[in-house]
Amino acid sequence: MPQAAIEARAGDRIQTASAMSQTILIVEDHPLVAKFYRMALERAGGYSCLVTENADEIVAAVEQGHVALALLDVSLRGTYWEGRPIDGIELARLLKKRAPGPLPILLATAHAMAGDRERFLAASGADAYLQKPIYDAQQLVETIQHLLAASQPPPSQS
Amino acid sequence: METFVAEMKRYLGLNEQDVDLLRQLGPRLEKYFPEMSERFYSQIPHHPHAFRVFTGQAQIERLKKSLQVWAYGLFQGRYDDAYAAERFQIGYRHVRIGLEQKYVISAMGIVRAFLHDCLVLEVPDSDERRRFAVALNKILDLDLNLMCESYMHATVENLRKLNDQLERANREMAQVSRTKDQFLSHISHELRTPLNSILGFTKMILDGLSESREEEHELLQDVFRSAQHLLGLVSDILDIRRIEEGRMSLRIENVNLRKLLDSTLPLVAIQAAEKGLRLQDQTVGTPLPVAWADEMRLRQVLLNLLNNAVKFTPRGSITLRAQMEDAAMDAPQDRLPRLVRIEVEDTGIGIPPQKRTAAFEEFVQMDHAEASRFRGAGLGLAISRRLIELMGGKIGLEAGCHGQGTLAWLAVPVVETVTPKEPLAASRHRGPGRRSDTNR
Repeated sequence: MPQAAIEARAGDRIQTASAMSQTILIVEDHPLVAKFYRMALERAGGYSCLVTENADEIVAAVEQGHVALALLDVSLRGTYWEGRPIDGIELARLLKKRAPGPLPILLATAHAMAGDRERFLAASGADAYLQKPIYDAQQLVETIQHLLAASQPPPSQS
Repeated sequence: METFVAEMKRYLGLNEQDVDLLRQLGPRLEKYFPEMSERFYSQIPHHPHAFRVFTGQAQIERLKKSLQVWAYGLFQGRYDDAYAAERFQIGYRHVRIGLEQKYVISAMGIVRAFLHDCLVLEVPDSDERRRFAVALNKILDLDLNLMCESYMHATVENLRKLNDQLERANREMAQVSRTKDQFLSHISHELRTPLNSILGFTKMILDGLSESREEEHELLQDVFRSAQHLLGLVSDILDIRRIEEGRMSLRIENVNLRKLLDSTLPLVAIQAAEKGLRLQDQTVGTPLPVAWADEMRLRQVLLNLLNNAVKFTPRGSITLRAQMEDAAMDAPQDRLPRLVRIEVEDTGIGIPPQKRTAAFEEFVQMDHAEASRFRGAGLGLAISRRLIELMGGKIGLEAGCHGQGTLAWLAVPVVETVTPKEPLAASRHRGPGRRSDTNR
């Protein structure tokens, strides 16, 4: 069974960085899915990725204003906040509150029953929702670019 | 509040004078009571369920006696709550045995007509007879009212019980439907996750996004493992469907446990090593009995237990043991097959005692919120339990030996018991006098 082998690498914190890049926070409990997001963004260029399931680390990075956009999975198996499990919906609400500025949030999930989309968006306050399987790297990057552009504050009038 | 009897007495105008008249009338009509009983029960052959309600002549004789006793009571003048309670009991009994109200009303009509005939014979004076007749009608009305009221009460009570059952059944069905929905949602989630890697990484390679041959190889390995995982999920779902529909057929044969263990352990050895877990096989060097089981399915169950151990053990070790089950606990020797027990003990996160039974239940009992925190269809143990039970064995979860981790075990029938003194081949047809010791 490949199961354990996949899980054995869960929880690894991976950070890639480069100068002049925007940091995308990736919270995804399945390491291969996280790997796909990271590769898609890195290959597109201009992004660095913070991949972690650790809620303290997630909140700290967001509070310090390091994160340009958060890509969150809805069901998180290994993420705990204040001693209890937290899912992507609750995490989205928490991050929206804690972020010093506007923080676009993209929800991604394989929960694909009718009505899930509206329910998740309404409950989380996230900006957009992607349904798994997400396998088009280009489309993912475009969605993220679009969300980043939309969240830029309008040029101030002087 | 006015009781039913008091209310009806008032409504019917049954007063002390009537009671006096009835007390006078009783002794004069007594001699007709046996015949009255005959008339009353002459209706039985016309009753549609008589064969079910009245089961024999002796019973009918008893009933005829009790009708006469009732008639004596009727002319005693005791029309109180205790009397009402007695009539109610009879009504409840009638409803319980399925005797319908319409038949009692008709039968009481026969009694009434008969008693009025008796009145004509016994009381020649028409004025006197009319006074008696009025009192007699009042008490017979009161009695019939009591009977009908008791029928209604009993029927309403039955309906209420049926209604409760119906509500319970409805609630259970709604619950099953809800869990099936949750299961579907959970399974669809689990199926999409490996697809994400399969489609994502192949598309990356196809789009030329991979930077080197090594990276391409690594991605393809991820794809391969995800596809294997997906295959596992699909066969789990098919297995549970097959079991639920009773279509799971096993190939029961002699299984060499040494070979089985030796070919199964390597399948988890790599994953255990990757997590730094020690994998100890304590069955090595001890003779193992020949099991009577489906080899492929037994391997599937053992692998499930081993995989769970690896999955839920962050550090420490996984230990494999085998021993014969004590036969004395189950049944006389040579009646039920002896079982060999294989244990997989880990030093992992453990399972709380109250969750141990539920772990073997199908998705119907699965707590969705809980299930979604563990990857996989969540069907492994449910399938394992059903497979082992189909083989005539048992399966269970306990706390690890030192109160830490989990001890998962399975037990399957053996065809031979190994003892140090007894060679394998000789122990096959053990007589009752040649009891072999348990090999440990």
